[in-house]
Amino acid sequence: MSDTRDTILIEVVSSALASIVEEMSETLVKAAFSPNIKERRDCTASLFDAEGQAIAQDEGGSPLHLGSLMGIVKAIRERHAEDAISEGDVFIGNDPYTGGGSHLPDIVLASPIYVDGQLTAWAATLAHHADFGDRGHAHIYQEAIRIPPVHLVRRGVLQEELLQLILLNCQIPTERLADLNAQQAAIRTAVDRYLEICARYGRATMRDVGRELLDYTERRTRAAIAAFPDGRYEFTDRFDCPELEGELELPITVTVAGDEITFDFTGAPPQVRASVNVVWTGLFAACYYTLKTLIDPDIPPNAGLYRPVTIVAPQGSILNCEEPAAVNGRSETCQRVVDLIQGALASALPKRVTAAANGANTGVHFSGWDPFRKRNFVYLETIGGGSGARYNKDGLDGVQVHMTNTSNLPVESLESEYPLTVESYELIGDSGGLGQHRGGLGIRRTVRAETNDVHFWLDTSRQFSKPWGLFGGGPGDSARCALSEGAQPVVRGYTVLRSGDSASIETAGAGGYGDPALRDPALVEQDLAAGKISAATAAAYRNAGRISAPE
Amino acid sequence: MGLRVGVDTGGTFTDLCAWDEEAGTLHVHKISSTPDDPSRAILDGVEQLLHKAGGRLISDVTYFAHGTTVGTNTLLTGTGVPTGLITTLGFRDLLELGRGRRPDMYDPQADKATPLVPRSLRREVHERVRFDGSVAVQLDVDEVRRTVRELKDAGVRAIAVCFLYSYLRPDHEQEVAQIITEEFPEAYVSLSSVVLPEFREYERLSTVVTNAFVGPVVDRYLSRLRDQLASRGLLVVPRVTQSNGGVIPFSMAERIPVRLVLSGPSTGVVGAAEICLLAGHPEIITFDMGGTSSDVSLVRHGEPQVTAGMELDGRPIRAPMLDIHTVGAGGGSIAWIDSGEHLRVGPQSAGANPGPACYGVGLEPSVTDANVALHLLNPEYLLNGEMPISEEASKKALGTIGDRLGLDVQQTALGILRVVTANMARAIRVVSVQRGYDPRDYALVPFGGAGPLHASRLARELGMTRIVVPQTPGAQSALGLLMTDVRTDFMRTQITAFDPSDPAPINAVLQALSGEADAWFDAEGSAPEDRHQVRRLEMRYRGQNFELPIDLDSAQQLDAAALEEVLDHFHAAHERVYGYASPGDPVEIVTYRVQAVGRADRVDVSRKDPEIGSADEALVAHRDIYLSEPRGFVRCPVYDRALLRHGAELAGPAVIEQMDTTTVLLPGDNCRVDAHRNLVIDVGGTDE
Repeated sequence: MSDTRDTILIEVVSSALASIVEEMSETLVKAAFSPNIKERRDCTASLFDAEGQAIAQDEGGSPLHLGSLMGIVKAIRERHAEDAISEGDVFIGNDPYTGGGSHLPDIVLASPIYVDGQLTAWAATLAHHADFGDRGHAHIYQEAIRIPPVHLVRRGVLQEELLQLILLNCQIPTERLADLNAQQAAIRTAVDRYLEICARYGRATMRDVGRELLDYTERRTRAAIAAFPDGRYEFTDRFDCPELEGELELPITVTVAGDEITFDFTGAPPQVRASVNVVWTGLFAACYYTLKTLIDPDIPPNAGLYRPVTIVAPQGSILNCEEPAAVNGRSETCQRVVDLIQGALASALPKRVTAAANGANTGVHFSGWDPFRKRNFVYLETIGGGSGARYNKDGLDGVQVHMTNTSNLPVESLESEYPLTVESYELIGDSGGLGQHRGGLGIRRTVRAETNDVHFWLDTSRQFSKPWGLFGGGPGDSARCALSEGAQPVVRGYTVLRSGDSASIETAGAGGYGDPALRDPALVEQDLAAGKISAATAAAYRNAGRISAPE
Repeated sequence: MGLRVGVDTGGTFTDLCAWDEEAGTLHVHKISSTPDDPSRAILDGVEQLLHKAGGRLISDVTYFAHGTTVGTNTLLTGTGVPTGLITTLGFRDLLELGRGRRPDMYDPQADKATPLVPRSLRREVHERVRFDGSVAVQLDVDEVRRTVRELKDAGVRAIAVCFLYSYLRPDHEQEVAQIITEEFPEAYVSLSSVVLPEFREYERLSTVVTNAFVGPVVDRYLSRLRDQLASRGLLVVPRVTQSNGGVIPFSMAERIPVRLVLSGPSTGVVGAAEICLLAGHPEIITFDMGGTSSDVSLVRHGEPQVTAGMELDGRPIRAPMLDIHTVGAGGGSIAWIDSGEHLRVGPQSAGANPGPACYGVGLEPSVTDANVALHLLNPEYLLNGEMPISEEASKKALGTIGDRLGLDVQQTALGILRVVTANMARAIRVVSVQRGYDPRDYALVPFGGAGPLHASRLARELGMTRIVVPQTPGAQSALGLLMTDVRTDFMRTQITAFDPSDPAPINAVLQALSGEADAWFDAEGSAPEDRHQVRRLEMRYRGQNFELPIDLDSAQQLDAAALEEVLDHFHAAHERVYGYASPGDPVEIVTYRVQAVGRADRVDVSRKDPEIGSADEALVAHRDIYLSEPRGFVRCPVYDRALLRHGAELAGPAVIEQMDTTTVLLPGDNCRVDAHRNLVIDVGGTDE
């Protein structure tokens, strides 16, 4: 490329790269076997440059996954000498401490792409393998098999023995094998397509374009941060999870100085003997995700976004944990990090932030033996909840928020695959925080076991505290889990259901925005008619209006 | 012999075509649409068209087909009827919860689609069927009766009913329908087991609700138009297009109107497929570029590809439809500079109002302005001189962004074309490479107002070497209406283990669907020799959740050998789409489909012109056109498409103008007019 700032060529190549990750992701979802990937799309795809900087990421993928992939290429290159990496290799890894995802069910596959004999790029897919049920979360050794980034395929040859070792450690090996095939199919697609584009533009141009894409994202990010008011912004929030007694306090200080921003979590509590610890990639992913939503949703997701950002968190804390802390439920914590940043920046960016969302990534896990289909099963679902009210309108009711955007599993698919029945799936009236703009409503999902010995694990948050409102808006309602009469109670997030027992999981609503007295009376009546608020709440709105109305 | 008429209502124009069966001549007419009452433009347009066709009478019309966007517009503008919904206990919020995803991962301002039925009109009743089709809870008929009365009192005009597993056991829904007939006979009723007997409850629910919401509006529109046409003297039964690219009588369309909702771009594809097959190009990718968007679609072996559904405005609609991908890139797409100093094009569009800057009102530069500034479009007027434009206005608008990019007006314009070409190439990759097809094996077939203008650049971007421009690219949809068959789809979800040694259960389902298709043919009045059934199985490896459609070759009973062959086809399709196959793994059928196709005696465009044309007789002017290689304005010939006859050969750079379309040949392109007056272009191959 004669001119490295040929922005038009960069747009053209960028479109082609975006097509590749889109196609990778489609291939993975469609070829996968496990419901968590094929229906819930709990997976993602990325392309990296030779140095491992992300140059294109699947925008439908979970931001937590995208962050998790940040360190993968570096980890592979640290573990394997240059001459031990070659064309036709596929690496596999899942261990957050040695280079993989941010928790063990996320299995990463990555391949180097060679152009003219030179290592030019990397393609990687990450998929959440819903397996490893009912193992405990005191430390990472309980949570699943740990796989450092090693060769699954070496120069085109599958490493059968390694694969056998991994599959023997899985509860549903047939699904794992099929899903790993789907991940490999997606990577093959990426390699083919990348080579086609290289054939067209040449290796040097592709390298330059990759660099410029990162610079471009950096420029846009810096321009946006420069428009934030400079200052030091502090906030704290309370955090809970079913595995812990009591609550923890999570602090943040955000500093905006010119076109750079620092997220400082000094004072975060030490890591805990529970699943909610976060490795650094998870924390970074949460910060980058939030920044992108505050800046411009349209910024291409690549490593250029990271450059103007500094992140500080104490080693060995819940937000930057060390081996052997358990991490399976790290998304609960990451969700709260997003709320923390928004809370801190609310005064600086009142039109960009939202009030607190439901504050969790409520995961419900059912596992056991299916006597009807004669097989083991592990069913995972994450349930959405309220989304925070905005400066100009209500929050969304019953959606996935922040770092996650997985689909639910259709009832007609779920019941055909597992010995479970869904009794209801509905919004919870009155769970959204009051405000000029109402917080989104939480969800109630009631699931009944159709066999004995169904192991149930709940990971969620906001069972003690409530999602906060902003600028006079009220808090959303807390989360809870109710079991049918006679069922063994949930202790530390865990219980065993008998046939006929049901668990009713309620997620939190979200915070409201602005003084409830200012709410449009027509919206109050509309919510009342829809049953989204009760008569009592409608009356509270009317009273608030009367009290603050001028004489 | 009479006159066959096609009328396609678009957002801006209503296009009309008449084929005189005796004379073998085609008459094309264009009139501004009348969105407040589309029938006005239709009736006026038909009158003018008949006049154009030599003062014919409407009673001479032997075939009348109509493409309408009334269903789409009703949905997009939310102007359907007040609709009630009855669901299984515990699931009334499913309509709002959907699949749980929020519409945009990174944009906190993005909103979900408003449910077409407000929560207060969504009612639950006691009933529950299980996944195996057994009844766990009997339907509470008294509760249903109360509920129907309440919905009636609440003022609904349509009721949708969607119960879990109704595709397996429709009994409860049918009982509800019976009760509605008794209590509220004037209501428009939609049952999910009728509209879409397929699994996945949310997609089925969304589809049946959409059907109920638009049903009465489509019903009223079609019956009124039918009466108006009849009162003017139309003797034949008018037909309307469905999203599957086929036509059915108005009266049948009123039953499942959701199948009309995405019919807009389908007939253009059907027409292009037909014309190109005849001209010897069975493998094509269609590229229909209008003012605000482009629709692209892939045609294999002369057959448009079908898909089972898509999303419109955030609401899933499952109905048999052509696999058409839309991207927000059209002539009116606006060019702008983002905060990282990159040139971007669209998705904002200048639309018809204010229109591109060259129309004299808008100030922002659009794709059309780029074409004007480069003189690819006539810089003085459009539409055969009917519409004067201002090149200065285009250049001024381009200058506003060119200054920021440090580029002159022409370089800016070229940049806009490169960026919009990349956007369109991305859309074509979706329907080709993402489905396992290589675009280089296909001919690009551009139509719509702006398609032929951009085709040569787009082909280069994708490595495609052949372009076929049909004779009337601006009226392709109306022409397509005269070439489509009568067709409708029958389907059933019944998950079946695929065992070639046991053909009986598979034959049983197919036979039942064939029976339904035969009954439909009888009602439609198709002659036995015109009847044709296309049978298709949607299959997957057991455990997967996306199915691959596998066509069955014959309409015969399937035996073990035939099923083995089907299985081979499935493995091969899996290999093609996903890069691997697992022969030996268990395979299952999820959905059975039978499409009933009644061959309409279609327009015969197979007549071949004699080979007597030459480029010279069509050369009408010369114009300086800006090219990137050599960089600058180059004097190029301008041809009149109407004067180009079979055998004429043209070389790029050149421009071919016709009433509402301009075709551009870039340097290296060679074009020949074929016996059907298509422009067949061999793309030069060098980057522009």
